[in-house]
Amino acid sequence: MVLVRPRITEYNNIFIPQINLDFAIPLLDEDIPLFVDPFLLWKSPSYQDKSIHSSVLNSFNHLGWMTKNNKKNDAIKQIIISSECEEVGLGLSNKRKGNKISQKTANEILSLFEIIPQYNKREFTHFEEIQFYIEGISKDRISDISCNFMKSFLIDFTIDQCEKINIPMVDCVLPTLYNLEKYSFDENIKVKLPINPNSKLPIIFVPKRWLRFIPWINFDDYYKDYCPKDKINNDGEELSHIKVLNYNRNNYDMIEYYIKEKERTFEDCKNDPLFKQIPITSAKSKLNQIKKLPTGKNDNSDKKYEDLICQLMASLLYPHLDFASEQSRTESGALIRDLIFYNNQDHPFLKEIFNEYSSKQIIMEIKNVESIEREHINQLNRYMNDNFGKFGILITRNELNKSKKQNIIDLWSGQRRCIISLTDIDLEQMVELFESKQRLPLDVIKKKYVEFKRACPS
Amino acid sequence: MIDIKKIDALEKLIGKLNSFYSEMGALAKKSPNDGLNIFKLNLINSTIKDCNLLLGKEYKPFEDFEIFNKDDLPTNSDVTLILSQYLEALEKFRSDNITIESFSGKWYYKTEKGLSNIQTSPPAKIKNN
Repeated sequence: MVLVRPRITEYNNIFIPQINLDFAIPLLDEDIPLFVDPFLLWKSPSYQDKSIHSSVLNSFNHLGWMTKNNKKNDAIKQIIISSECEEVGLGLSNKRKGNKISQKTANEILSLFEIIPQYNKREFTHFEEIQFYIEGISKDRISDISCNFMKSFLIDFTIDQCEKINIPMVDCVLPTLYNLEKYSFDENIKVKLPINPNSKLPIIFVPKRWLRFIPWINFDDYYKDYCPKDKINNDGEELSHIKVLNYNRNNYDMIEYYIKEKERTFEDCKNDPLFKQIPITSAKSKLNQIKKLPTGKNDNSDKKYEDLICQLMASLLYPHLDFASEQSRTESGALIRDLIFYNNQDHPFLKEIFNEYSSKQIIMEIKNVESIEREHINQLNRYMNDNFGKFGILITRNELNKSKKQNIIDLWSGQRRCIISLTDIDLEQMVELFESKQRLPLDVIKKKYVEFKRACPS
Repeated sequence: MIDIKKIDALEKLIGKLNSFYSEMGALAKKSPNDGLNIFKLNLINSTIKDCNLLLGKEYKPFEDFEIFNKDDLPTNSDVTLILSQYLEALEKFRSDNITIESFSGKWYYKTEKGLSNIQTSPPAKIKNN
């Protein structure tokens, strides 16, 4: 079965919602757009996290010691190796592949230990500061360097998590692994890890409590609120990134002040969740917008309807259904938009859907039409053949008429396929339940399913 | 005719149902389409079950309604409607089982052994008139 945006858990027939796992579930074909923020380890109340931060920092600062003690070439090699960590699959790549930094950039990073007196004397306390001096260093590099220097811990964490939830592991070879005793990278290390079934490359999990979209200490934040732009730009020209980096090299006190401020406000630094529900007021406003939209395609109302439904449903059904993707497809010249959810099976109803219809993922087709036609049902039905088991949901404006209801009942009678419809009225009830929390919005889908099954011949 | 046990059960059920009805009425006014949580639904269902037992086929308000199915996601207004029907049915049952003592003008339950000494209020129809 081909999954849309496959995750390692579903691929191995493990159905646990993201919210119940300690690690960010890796996607098999692309990166997760989050990054390890070393500041989260620094500020963590856990001694384990703090000590991992210290060891990452020691390893990084050791590169400075090497630089100052005639081992710069080795240090350059090490920083280049540490600049990319494909196994963790964090970042913005849609192929789970990245590039290492160049020799020139590596050299520039190491030169900071020499040209900035404070780093020369007392080394780094937050190595993410390198992004204030070096062009091309940002959140992805900070994250990858952190991951490489703590990879031993991440491997143990991954093995522990895999054993807990039974993700299979195989013997594989890691090209490099940082050795904390030798302060250098060992090569070709044999370990047991889960692998990506497509590329056969090992996968390493990362605790989700260490992830943020942007590091707490970051260039944009510094530039916006702390960088003395007037002082740097006294010639009236446009302020370039390079100019700011050069200014920072010669004015460490500005960076020091910024870091102190960020440390002072550490309590505001929180990890970012992999998915964040929209607030209740926003859900209500989206529902109102949906109700006001006319059916059809005038004024792009179909596109607006699809966008609103997508934002609303992903939040209403969280955490029981993790949102996987929205996708467009063309069938017989018609553009169709679908929502795809991972079926976590943590609710008896979802388990039943999996058992009865083999739905590892649940597909919802969005139709902003006055009334559903036979062709709309057929389009979804044909699509259900391929990937999604035999269960599908039509999200549309009005209740299906008698003949279309018969149509979907016939599909069940003949082929044991189940298509249910969700209308504006159902959405209204889902939003009401989302607000009151008396029942789950998912129960509305279950209600429609029960109604459908009652109408089917026994 | 009813016995003392049934009188006791009837009065308890009327009390419970009245309290559910006023609670649910307030919720239904605020958000009629909101679902009722499982805990409340179970309490209401168990009271309705007891009502069905007491009322029997003759007095039960709907032939094909037994209790709420939680999968049907009954809303506040659904529940209020049913509760009001059960309250009416209980009142009809009570009215048919009470009588006025002509001497004192007070209302008492009738039992198989004759007039009980359990006083009650007049039938709602008479009270309302």
